Amino acid sequence: MSEHRVHSLILAADFSVDDVESMWSSISAREVHLAGMAAHHVVVYRSIWEPGRVLVTIGIRHPNSIRDVLRSPAIFELFDNAGVHDIPAIFAGEVVEKIDLYETTPDDAVSRVIVGVVTLVQDVATLMDKVHGAADRFKQAGVRKIWVYRAFDDGHEVMVLHDIEDEIRARRWIDHPDASAEWMSLGGESEQARCEQDASLGAYPTVFVGTLAHLMTVAERVN
Amino acid sequence: MFVCLCTGVTSQRVTELVANGASTSKQIADACGAGADCGRCRRTVRAIIAASNKQDCPVHATR
Repeated sequence: MSEHRVHSLILAADFSVDDVESMWSSISAREVHLAGMAAHHVVVYRSIWEPGRVLVTIGIRHPNSIRDVLRSPAIFELFDNAGVHDIPAIFAGEVVEKIDLYETTPDDAVSRVIVGVVTLVQDVATLMDKVHGAADRFKQAGVRKIWVYRAFDDGHEVMVLHDIEDEIRARRWIDHPDASAEWMSLGGESEQARCEQDASLGAYPTVFVGTLAHLMTVAERVN
Repeated sequence: MFVCLCTGVTSQRVTELVANGASTSKQIADACGAGADCGRCRRTVRAIIAASNKQDCPVHATR
């Protein structure tokens, strides 16, 4: 693997645990370890459709190399303490853009329904143009925010997180996404649909639908 | 997506190997190291192989 030199990094993993609260307790008890790998935030989203399924994102400052971060004991500890033996594929990338479709309000501290997709797209720049061009339609569909991340290891791979008004609109967005939301047609397949079609997405998780469960700001370690 | 944390092997690399004929997690491990160390990514490797097989299947390939 090539060594990627990056300014900031987000890791994301989608997996299932027996007990989300227990997992969070073990994560939060290891803030020092997370600080040791230069993490600045850890966010846990809990699925509203699949009990135990979580999406965990970790923001990391100025890593020397992605490889070192992935191999760090803190990452393995996260899965060990969550009781997860089979480690899922991990998205590693950077922010392309965070788009707020509404004025920021104090209520924004509490996110609504999060729909997350990791998939391949034709071209990230073109995708962003389409997103901006369809912003009004996205708002009408109940999408309040869109965060787009580009993978470091594959220029066509993106993770898109949507903050959507409520569960009904989230389901509608998944079933009937806007034509500009290319990522939904490529990766937006629910677990139920996957079972019905007996189709596998390989390393890619199915669409995640959940709510914010926990967020931790990790204090910067001072040497 | 990074499949193997020990070696940094990506899903793209595993998919390439499968396209070139690898059909078991052992063959993938031999070719690129993914799954050869702690072995905790083998399930993902197998999922990539299974997905590729589905795409090769005439029924699924038309989707």
